[in-house]
Amino acid sequence: MSRQRTQEEYEKTWSFHLKQWADGSRDPFLDRIEMKPKKPFTESQEEKERREGDRERMLSRVYDMNRNVRLREFHRLYQVFAVLFCLILVVMLLTAVSWLPTVGAEDRPVNNEVAARYIESGLQETGAVNIVTGMILDYRAFDTLGESHVLFTATCTVLILLRQDKKRKRKTNDRMYEPKNDVILQTAARVLVPPIIIFGIYVILCGHLGPGGGFSGGAIIGAGLILYLCAFGFEKTERFFTARTYQVMSFCALACYSLSKCYSFYTGANGIESVIPLGTPGAILSSGLIFVLNICVGVVVAGTMYTFYCMFRKGGY
Amino acid sequence: MQILMSLLLGFLLVCAVSVSVSKNLLNSVCIYMSYSLVMSIIWILLESPDLAITEAAVGAGITSILFFVTLKKIHAIVSEDEDLEPEGGIYEGDVPVEGTALAEKNVGKEEAGHEQTANTGRI
Amino acid sequence: MAAWEWVRFVIGGFLLLCGLGIYAIEMIGVYRFRYVLNRMHAAAMGDTLGIGFSIVGLIVMNGVNAASLKLFLVVAFLWFSSPTSSHLIARLEYDTDEERENHYRQVELKDLEMEYKDGEKEEE
Repeated sequence: MSRQRTQEEYEKTWSFHLKQWADGSRDPFLDRIEMKPKKPFTESQEEKERREGDRERMLSRVYDMNRNVRLREFHRLYQVFAVLFCLILVVMLLTAVSWLPTVGAEDRPVNNEVAARYIESGLQETGAVNIVTGMILDYRAFDTLGESHVLFTATCTVLILLRQDKKRKRKTNDRMYEPKNDVILQTAARVLVPPIIIFGIYVILCGHLGPGGGFSGGAIIGAGLILYLCAFGFEKTERFFTARTYQVMSFCALACYSLSKCYSFYTGANGIESVIPLGTPGAILSSGLIFVLNICVGVVVAGTMYTFYCMFRKGGY
Repeated sequence: MQILMSLLLGFLLVCAVSVSVSKNLLNSVCIYMSYSLVMSIIWILLESPDLAITEAAVGAGITSILFFVTLKKIHAIVSEDEDLEPEGGIYEGDVPVEGTALAEKNVGKEEAGHEQTANTGRI
Repeated sequence: MAAWEWVRFVIGGFLLLCGLGIYAIEMIGVYRFRYVLNRMHAAAMGDTLGIGFSIVGLIVMNGVNAASLKLFLVVAFLWFSSPTSSHLIARLEYDTDEERENHYRQVELKDLEMEYKDGEKEEE
């Protein structure tokens, strides 16, 4: 049988400390770095009523379901057709998937010959020493195009969610507790930001020669821009990077990418032979379009990272 | 190399579990950042330097920064009070679930009270 | 030249182990101190010195080539950025601490000039 221990004895044991760490009641990082003191969430009665009365107000002012016959019929039809549409879509997609071979089947070419072909003639056909980049931006450039569109859609969604109106800008002053015009930070930023941006450009340009590529280089440049913004404030950064810059930049880059690789829409699975000379592998100006596509992707990603940060801080970009 | 890989994977497990279990959001984000760093090392051990660079730049760099800024915006960076112990489950510092309108109203009230105290080093 | 390689390996390994020991001491400090500034101080000193020792150990192991130059540039970058972040943490802590009088003792330098004794100087 186990013997009873007093509370003081228990508090000296290792298992009590482990339990405290797991519960979070005594944490090394729960310290006094605090932006605002915590206040309990209170809500006045009128705010609560305003929030909860939204639905009735919408129903009474926008449309009244009880009196409008056409609206009721439309609603009924809408429900039926929505379910029907979803069912048709599901059936179509399931049929398409059922034609694919099982995952990892041994006799399928996708597992045997395709991988061998990529490895053996990857360098010859794409001209890129880095086979991964060659695959992403040459063999599978169409997929990367779709991925860029996904990134663009995500950016649009974030912009919609985080954009604030002008009249609300005064209230959320996030930089109140932050050191402004800190000499040490500005000196460090002056020294560190140029190497960061140069390194990011290097990673983008040498994407087909070594590890890296458009995405990581773009993230590095975005991080450099964020450091500049934190050190120098919004006014100085907007001298060279405004909202217009980001819009023009991302539109041009995405359009350039789409125009270069959109022929797959018309030619289907049989891609046209690349007319751009491949050059010698190992040189910077080689591997055809991969160079240009890397730059486009990097530009979009850098602008996106910086814009997300700006949206969080300022509510605008 | 196997030992190093197993150690790193074990550390990854501990990180992932403690991110979910931890009650303080700031804690979780810091541990998430270290998770991303360990993932970057594992990518190198699995011989894919592209993924390692991207994971380091995006995971440990950008998404962690965005998480911290998000925490600041929802006022979820709390401090430990000596005489307050979390009883049961609900933490007192839960964020208001309503949309940004009410949270910003609270911000407006609190900021008026804090204008006087934050005077050092301002420009 | 095998002996020279071996000596280089031993020295590099010793420096690397020193770096690991410094990190271990720093982690003990970060977990056990009670106040933010103490923890920040432990983290900053431990990180700077630990990075220095570890990467100098790797440079010694590697010899003199382009990779060693890149490692040296990594050290230079980290020695720039890590103290800056420590400075910002300290400044933020000073600005937002609510019980500042209880936690820290503020000393003005010009008051201390009267107490200059025997070449010993108190600093803030």
